[in-house]
Amino acid sequence: MLEVSGLTTKYGEISALREASLHVGSGEVIGLIGPNGAGKTTLLNTIAGLLAPSGGRVSLDDEDVTGHSPERLLRSGLALVPEHRRIFVNLTVEENLRIGGVTVPSADRPGLLEEMSERFPVLRDKWTTSAGYLSGGEAQQLAIARALMSRPRLLMMDEPSLGLAPLLVDVVFELIDALRAQGRTLLVVEQNATRMLELADRAYVLRSGEVVAEGTGTELRDNKDLFDTFVGN
Amino acid sequence: MFPNLRRDVVFPVFGSVILFAVFVAVGLAYQSQFSGAAERLVTFALIDAILVLGIQIYVGNTGILSFGHIGFGAIAGYAFALFAISPAEKLKRIPDAPFGLLDVSVGPWMAVAVAVGVTLVVALIVGVGLARSGAESGAVSATVITLALLFVTHEVARNWPDLTGGDRAGLSFRIGGTLDSRVPIYIALLAAIVVARLYAQSRGGRLAVAAREDDLAARAMGVNPLVQQMVALLISVVVVSVGASLRVYENGSILPRDMFFNLTLVTLVMLIVGGRRSVTGALVGVAVITVGREVARKLGQDGFELFGIGLDGAPLDWIFRENLKSVFMGVSMLGFMIWRPAGLLDDWELDKWLHGKLGRRSASPPESLPPVEPDDSSVLVAQGVDVAFGGFQALIDVDVEAARSEVVGVIGPNGAGKTTLLNVITGLVESNSGSVVLGGTDLSATRSFKIARSGLVRTFQNLRLFDSLTVRENVEVSYLVAAAHRRHRPPPDVDGLIAAAGLWEQRDRRARELDYGTSRRLELARAAATAPAFLLLDEPTSGMSDSESLVMVEQVRQMAGLVGAGVVVIDHDLNFIIGICDRIYCLDCGQVIAEGTPAEIQADPVVQAAYIGSTAEG
Amino acid sequence: MTELLQNLIDGLGRGSIYALLALGVAVIFGVMHLLNFAHGELITVSGYASFWALGAGWSWYVMVPLIVAVSVATSLLIERVAFSRVRGADDFTLLLTSFGVHFVVSAIFLLYVSASVKTFPRPTWVTNTYAVGSLRIEVFDTVVIVVTVATLVATTLILQRTTFGLSLRAAAADFDTARLMGVRSNSVIRGAFALSGVLAGIASVFWLMRSGSTSPTAGIDPMLKGVLAALIGGLGSLRGAVLGGFTLGLAEVILRSRLPDSVASLTEGVVFLLIALLFIFRPQGLISVPHAERV
Repeated sequence: MLEVSGLTTKYGEISALREASLHVGSGEVIGLIGPNGAGKTTLLNTIAGLLAPSGGRVSLDDEDVTGHSPERLLRSGLALVPEHRRIFVNLTVEENLRIGGVTVPSADRPGLLEEMSERFPVLRDKWTTSAGYLSGGEAQQLAIARALMSRPRLLMMDEPSLGLAPLLVDVVFELIDALRAQGRTLLVVEQNATRMLELADRAYVLRSGEVVAEGTGTELRDNKDLFDTFVGN
Repeated sequence: MFPNLRRDVVFPVFGSVILFAVFVAVGLAYQSQFSGAAERLVTFALIDAILVLGIQIYVGNTGILSFGHIGFGAIAGYAFALFAISPAEKLKRIPDAPFGLLDVSVGPWMAVAVAVGVTLVVALIVGVGLARSGAESGAVSATVITLALLFVTHEVARNWPDLTGGDRAGLSFRIGGTLDSRVPIYIALLAAIVVARLYAQSRGGRLAVAAREDDLAARAMGVNPLVQQMVALLISVVVVSVGASLRVYENGSILPRDMFFNLTLVTLVMLIVGGRRSVTGALVGVAVITVGREVARKLGQDGFELFGIGLDGAPLDWIFRENLKSVFMGVSMLGFMIWRPAGLLDDWELDKWLHGKLGRRSASPPESLPPVEPDDSSVLVAQGVDVAFGGFQALIDVDVEAARSEVVGVIGPNGAGKTTLLNVITGLVESNSGSVVLGGTDLSATRSFKIARSGLVRTFQNLRLFDSLTVRENVEVSYLVAAAHRRHRPPPDVDGLIAAAGLWEQRDRRARELDYGTSRRLELARAAATAPAFLLLDEPTSGMSDSESLVMVEQVRQMAGLVGAGVVVIDHDLNFIIGICDRIYCLDCGQVIAEGTPAEIQADPVVQAAYIGSTAEG
Repeated sequence: MTELLQNLIDGLGRGSIYALLALGVAVIFGVMHLLNFAHGELITVSGYASFWALGAGWSWYVMVPLIVAVSVATSLLIERVAFSRVRGADDFTLLLTSFGVHFVVSAIFLLYVSASVKTFPRPTWVTNTYAVGSLRIEVFDTVVIVVTVATLVATTLILQRTTFGLSLRAAAADFDTARLMGVRSNSVIRGAFALSGVLAGIASVFWLMRSGSTSPTAGIDPMLKGVLAALIGGLGSLRGAVLGGFTLGLAEVILRSRLPDSVASLTEGVVFLLIALLFIFRPQGLISVPHAERV
């Protein structure tokens, strides 16, 4: 479904991402792991159109979408749950969800809202509350629900467990698991490599802006070098 | 006050004289070419140049857009007129003048002094307001305050006829005729150029520019931007007051509209077209806009015929109309903002260029410096630090301690609270409870620039250099702070530090032109030049390759040794941290989960679990 | 008591127009971080449209929708010609660009019309008053307050209920994330300029009915009022802008009626001074909009 080849992104002089390539097939759950500063967020932001690549190609179902704007990519079916969630704290929970659904036909929106309120009971209870009052775990669920409102074909998540207490990390992973069970296509950046590898069909390991390993969860978990990759040995 | 006498005083004065001579020569040549009204045009261009230079001193060095300087000019202009006009004349114009001004009569030069004094008092008050409004480069509310000042002075001038003669009559005077010689204007212009250049090279100017480039980084180096902005404001207001007084003197009268929107537009367009960050640019702008406006005016009046060009201007009648010059001014401003916001010259200066060409360069880098012995008495202790953002606990009861003789590392996964801890120690984030103590001095709830002056100086994860300054100028900012606030320490040797950081070859390049690794080294050298007790480094190797990281280990050790500072370094790269640190703290979810020597940390299963994922624990 | 009530009504009338102007300024500041010093030009242009149309014998009933349309068109045109080229530029450039627009627009009228003030007939009912008890209320103020309240309610509904309004609020809070949700940056910015144009258009109708004149520099006064009111309220806050508008209107009216005669003509100056004091003690304005900088 998603094909990334030789993607390079620079911040001024710095190459945050060097010739990264990856492939996401329909219905797959793909993990993207690696230490801080490895370029995981840069990779997702470049795919999502927030950053302009200086080289390489992104294609979605064989259509070249390199350099498209985020609003255009969303309409092509690619949604991103950004790092730090970035929910609109001055809008209510419902309004956040409605923003997520601005691209779907208005007739379908009530149904989608209904669906979200059923799937996320935490949000239903705070439906008309300002999103600024949500706890970290609730906010993360809102961020995911908001992205689901656009009925994406491919959902990307950037560090969904970041800054959450262990109990809430469980909730987030259960949610990812549930989405997987539904047959959704997911590309997830996660710091928590062990748990991500349990869940993912395949994963890519990034380090210093480059993809250094790729494999199924079990393959990577048995890879002795993995810990070294993380801690920088 | 000036880091380098030759570069910062001799050359600027020399350059100013050349600029002055060229500017005046161009004026005189123009005047002899087009007789008649040209003389008056040139006289006013000379005076406008003084006003524009005055505005440049503030706007150029602080980056704050001011619409209020012509308002200050109005205050000065009226003060000048009220003191210079003879009592007999005042009796005719403003018989009910308040404050006993009716009988006051001083010589015109005394009146200029009074005008400067009065305006300075107002500027001091306005400056406090600007500081309170959180002024920083590009600050919108500061700009609106200056705009409000312009309107207040205009309103008062219009509606207080007892003082100002009001909207129609104004104040006019015939104190032995108006200014009948250009000599005072020449003197004032030369002085204005020299002041503008010397200020920019002085300690105050450099610190103001540092804050313009990056307010937060300047504070972290120990600069108080508000004080520097106030100094810039006062100096600029003095120059503007002199210019405004001369303008009134030359004009022979003052009306509220003389010192209002139009003059504000004209002077601002001159400044931004020439280049607001350059004194040379300001003068170029005055020349270009004066000529352009005159051409537009004549084209508007007479079309091409006036210039004796054999072109038929008739098809252009729709544009060659009266008031074409206003369109010219508006379009100049808009066009430059859209296509060339830095102006024609950006920050190019004649004397800097000359210094680059003529100045003797020390060809070889200086001898390597002897390391400074760290004085172990001052220990950095952060105790019981708690930070919550909204409902999110970023730090929970964190204790960290570091001595001057050691390198202490803080590691932890993303979101563990490492940067927050550094922000608390350097005063950028206030902790909910807990304390930060350096050598027995409690620094909790102290402003960041004061913390930096006490010896805690940091670098930033996402590189905050003073981008348009050169490598050397970046380091000199810290040197200037250290020279004033850290006198008990050996003064940092700028050249030595630059050489030690491997920046000698690039010392005259701008920070924004450097590659990433070099920028990191510059940030380290800049921090070291403050003669700190502790260097606090926020992810100095982020974005670096493994081999670059190894070089960084050496660099950090060397720099810290040269200034005798302890080091606290945050990084996620365990390899780097183990290579450099004597002791390591590991943070996870806002708490210290382990502490020990590199070997201990490396072997700690809790640390491994935190890094690779929680299930590895079990 | 009566006098206070009288001031209150007069102040609300005046403040209504300021609130409409300030809201237009705040809407644009929200999405573009641009403090629009050219906002008053919408009134200048509308003023010349009124001068020509009314001069040609058109009635005020036709003028009302026409002025709003002219204002919206001008707002969109300015965005297209100038502001779209400096999107994302630093604050210094944005501020001076809007100032440049102000000067270009007034220069164009200077070039093609003249510097002199052009007058046009005002509707006859503008100066009518009626009495309620001991209060004298202007018919005009009544209309202004009613229409403004209706406009504010309609604007609130648009912002709260429509997809556009939601997009606008989201974009103002976090432009990049809004784009990730599929909000089109072009549409939302142009929409903001259109909304700002509508609000300024309604304010224009009242401003022109009251003044009955226009000139190349006629935009300065309303611009200043709008910008100051938006700042008083707290830049970026829409509620703050409305509150700031009414505060400014009330302050002007109360000062004008309460200041001793000798300084009454300095009301504007005193108002500016009070605003400066407000900034000194509460730099963020009446309603502060939280913003965080990541280090």
